[in-house]
Amino acid sequence: MTAVTASLPERTEAATWRAALTNALPFLGILALALLLPLVGNDYWALIGTRMAIYWVLVSGLNLIVGFAGHLAIGYVALLTLGAYATSVLVAGNVMPAIPAFAALPIAAVVGAIFGVVVGLPALRLRTFYFAMSTLGFATIVTQIALAWQSVTGGGVGIAGPVFPAPFDTAWGFYFLCIGFATFTTWLTANVARSRFGRALIAVRDAEVAAEATGISKPKMLIAIFLLAGGCAAVAGGLFATLQTYITPDAFTFDLSVLFFIAILIGGRGSILGPLLGTMILTILPEIAAPLAEWSTFLYALLLLLIVLVMPGGIAALLDFRNRRPLASNRAIVPRPGALADIVRRSKGGRALSLRGVSLSFGNVKAIDGLDLDVAPGQIHGLIGPNGSGKTTTLNVISGYYAAKAGSMTLGGDPLPAGQPSLRATRGIARTFQTPRIIGEASVLQNVMIGGTVEGKASFVEALLALPRNRQDERMFAAKARSLLAVVGLENLADVRIDRLQHSELRFIEIARALMLDPDFLLLDEPAAGLSVDEIDRLGELIKAIAARGVGVLLVEHHADLIFDICNHITVLNLGRTLAAGTPTEIRVHKEVVSAYLGG
Amino acid sequence: MLSSIIASGLAAGAVYALVGVTYNTMFSTSRVMSFTAGQLAMLGGVFGSMFTLKLGFPIWAGFLLTLALCAILGVITEFIAVRPVLKSLEQHLYVLSTLAVALMIQQVAAIKWGTEPQPFPHLVNLGSGVWDEKFWLPVAACAITILALEYLYRRTLVGRAFLAIAEDNFAARALGLPERNLRIASYALAGIIGGIAGFSGGQLLLAFFANGALLNFYGFVPVALGGLGNNRGAIIGGLALGLFQQAANFLVGGIFSSVAVFTLFIVVLLAAPQGVFGGATARRV
Amino acid sequence: MLTSAAEPLLSVARLESGYGKIRVLHGVDLSIAAGEVVALLGPNGAGKTTLLRTVSGLLPVNAGDVRFDGRDFTKIMPREATRAGLVHVIEGHRVFTQLSVTDNLLLAGYDLPRAERAGRVEEALSFFPEIAVKRNERGGALSGGQQQMLTVAQGLVRRPRLLMLDEPSAGLSPVLVDRVLNVIGQLKQRGTAVILVEQLLEKALAAADRVYALVQGQIALEAPTSESDLPKRLERAYFGHESHALEAS
Repeated sequence: MTAVTASLPERTEAATWRAALTNALPFLGILALALLLPLVGNDYWALIGTRMAIYWVLVSGLNLIVGFAGHLAIGYVALLTLGAYATSVLVAGNVMPAIPAFAALPIAAVVGAIFGVVVGLPALRLRTFYFAMSTLGFATIVTQIALAWQSVTGGGVGIAGPVFPAPFDTAWGFYFLCIGFATFTTWLTANVARSRFGRALIAVRDAEVAAEATGISKPKMLIAIFLLAGGCAAVAGGLFATLQTYITPDAFTFDLSVLFFIAILIGGRGSILGPLLGTMILTILPEIAAPLAEWSTFLYALLLLLIVLVMPGGIAALLDFRNRRPLASNRAIVPRPGALADIVRRSKGGRALSLRGVSLSFGNVKAIDGLDLDVAPGQIHGLIGPNGSGKTTTLNVISGYYAAKAGSMTLGGDPLPAGQPSLRATRGIARTFQTPRIIGEASVLQNVMIGGTVEGKASFVEALLALPRNRQDERMFAAKARSLLAVVGLENLADVRIDRLQHSELRFIEIARALMLDPDFLLLDEPAAGLSVDEIDRLGELIKAIAARGVGVLLVEHHADLIFDICNHITVLNLGRTLAAGTPTEIRVHKEVVSAYLGG
Repeated sequence: MLSSIIASGLAAGAVYALVGVTYNTMFSTSRVMSFTAGQLAMLGGVFGSMFTLKLGFPIWAGFLLTLALCAILGVITEFIAVRPVLKSLEQHLYVLSTLAVALMIQQVAAIKWGTEPQPFPHLVNLGSGVWDEKFWLPVAACAITILALEYLYRRTLVGRAFLAIAEDNFAARALGLPERNLRIASYALAGIIGGIAGFSGGQLLLAFFANGALLNFYGFVPVALGGLGNNRGAIIGGLALGLFQQAANFLVGGIFSSVAVFTLFIVVLLAAPQGVFGGATARRV
Repeated sequence: MLTSAAEPLLSVARLESGYGKIRVLHGVDLSIAAGEVVALLGPNGAGKTTLLRTVSGLLPVNAGDVRFDGRDFTKIMPREATRAGLVHVIEGHRVFTQLSVTDNLLLAGYDLPRAERAGRVEEALSFFPEIAVKRNERGGALSGGQQQMLTVAQGLVRRPRLLMLDEPSAGLSPVLVDRVLNVIGQLKQRGTAVILVEQLLEKALAAADRVYALVQGQIALEAPTSESDLPKRLERAYFGHESHALEAS
């Protein structure tokens, strides 16, 4: 037992199970209510309940796209339409020999999954508003095709919905079938949400630049959730067609699309429970009173406006009791650098990061002009210079956000490909940012766990089905993140929402996040900015301990005292060129350096 | 046939182009793409029909009242959907708040005005056939509006203040320009432009609540093609769209023409996300 | 002789400010008398631009106060500050590239009565004949140095009581730097006070009466420019205490 783990409260199996149960409790409660409904309700309530369940089957998948990935797919009714017609057509036998409803559903799900990718792909290229518009266009197209393709869909006249075999052909029988599907999709999407994929989605949504630095590949993840959400929506469509018993193109109104979309936003992004409650509320709303039915879409829109203006976090933020507890106001950050040895494996070393003759211009301005730089393992290399000298640009070139126009970058002799930031993490390069890039609504622990995303062993499917390898991954991530938080001295704040923390705490958390990768190289972009004198001292000790593990550190800074205290080697930039390079002693008295800072 | 395609294409295109200009006017001073652009145009037709046909006002009075109401709605949009959101750091919120306002406008129109398209009166009674008023009126309105905007931007100080705020909001603020007031004024102006689009296109599109969603999309395509904030691109894009749509209507029929338009839209956007005439994106890091 | 019994034109006390959560200024005290030229120096990241932006109202005040011409300026907006005679020329020679030089200047006089505008524009252009000849060209057609002169001219349209210049020499050739700093001398003769944020130490000391050094969000040094050992004292202020590396070796 090391010093670190002895002082932390033990996270036993029992504690983990208790936490999981607390999370599951609201869902179990809702499920219990659902199962008890037949005892107190009549067929009318069966109808409402069934509709609620069907909507949730679609919304649970859409939630991953809108609530987690942050892509505003407003026109998702297109997938509902597709699924409804696909199942109905398969069961009716218009195109091929009729097949039973239970066989048609999975086929429709596959069709929906593929089409979900088609509808979603523009998200990779288009900005928010443009993507929203493109989904609206898709919704229109699908409806138009349903109208036009009379031979298959029955055109404006419509087509009969599928019927399921007994006991699912009664009102309550079908109700239980839909509850079953709803429970299943809730479980699936909750698994994704609580896995490294769910966290990665939110990271791409809120801190895309940092997500890239952590190695997260946006396209692969988005395609996975487009497939899943498309499949869920198509299944919902098939069930919807059964509920309606007969479908025509104008059953799939824009109002439905709005309901799905708003349910997620009212529920709150990044949550499963919130949108579930949102769907339930919005489905019941028109039923409460007759006038409300006519004004239902107006009310949905009004609710959306109120949420955006007053409570952007939605219902989920309302239910977040844990984050209402006040935090201590005089919090000190006391890192324990000594504990680093037990967590971060010693870097193999031997490979240096080298830049030779690197040049980059922005328009007419030469940001970097023929730069040579070496970062050796275990050494702290300081990079200083006046404003506009190219320090941060150099970091951005090394981490791959900008591609240099000339020169070369090598890592241990192997070239570093330019312009591909998400490949850096697997090469062992981690970094922090000039302004902390974090996911405001996630907890401190989750933010740190994101740093190690690429180290996860479980695939998306294993996470989806909550298989043992995913559980192992989660245990590993959580334990390592907690230990790293202890190293930077912030373990008591692990479960707090990160946007409640002070700026200086965020800086240390970014370092913990970067260390999750056991990096060979750590790039620090002005980590001392905004820190008090004490905090800067502790930061210096921490950086020295990190370098002692064999990590090569490149430190961009303005604080001269920190640079001179801890660096082994300093390069001074001015106007994109090396003005001087040497040990702190040499640089400290270098005439040109002093005058470059003071001007003249 | 060709002449009727051209006539209806240019007319529809002129309406789309004006809605695109409405989007641009709101965007230029606030960096917000507002879903209310199409709704404002819809109201231009609905209010126009309401004042002149239902309430029997003279044409010019109905026109001015329509524009006034649209301007007021534009200002209300700024107050409740744009200004509160600009202060926040969340990028996506403005999409939601303007969507909410647009939906509310649409629903009220559907409930109070009715879900059936209502007729729009003849205004000047000049011309027939392909030279019918419903074809040349939108084109004339579009041309006059563009000329008026050019005058505003080039010849008046207020117009140049709009351009300044659109180009560099921070520098304009530091210079002491009344940035907030100018933004409110530009939203009122956007309302007026939308109202003109709907009023002049009233005979073509009828007074129909569903025009809002339709024009939201068809008015956005010129912006996407022409580049955000680029009025000239919007005009060219709008007219081209109108002609393309009417030609497709004629060649493949009504239903597939919207499929054709949409496919074109997606293909162009994916190939050039900034629009055909658009500028470069900002630096991310 | 620069201290007077009357209240200073600008006085800043215990000022704290920053960007959102990032606190940059940790209690700054500063004052400027009418007609004084004050240089504000300091290493990058010290908060010089933040200080100017807070005074002119572009950034909110977190704590402390700002008084200008006897009025409380703590909650001021840039528009009112400009009207009251406090003009801020921001860094980066940001002109409106799509508008002509004349239009850029007319916009600077947006709040002036229409009849006076043209006259004030001519007055501002008289300081910078190099851009007066280009009065009908677009802002985007000017060189960087000319754009910088244009931004200073914009500041002069309002006949400020206090002109705040943020790094007017950045990216300029030495000749142009002298031109711009020369204007400061002319302003001083007319009784305009100036705060000059500058990187070029010698030029700043030559143009100013007094100097403040801002380091890590606090004033580390204040002195009249007449003192002889200023450069040494500034160096010590910038680089702080002696570093441990020197002692160990």
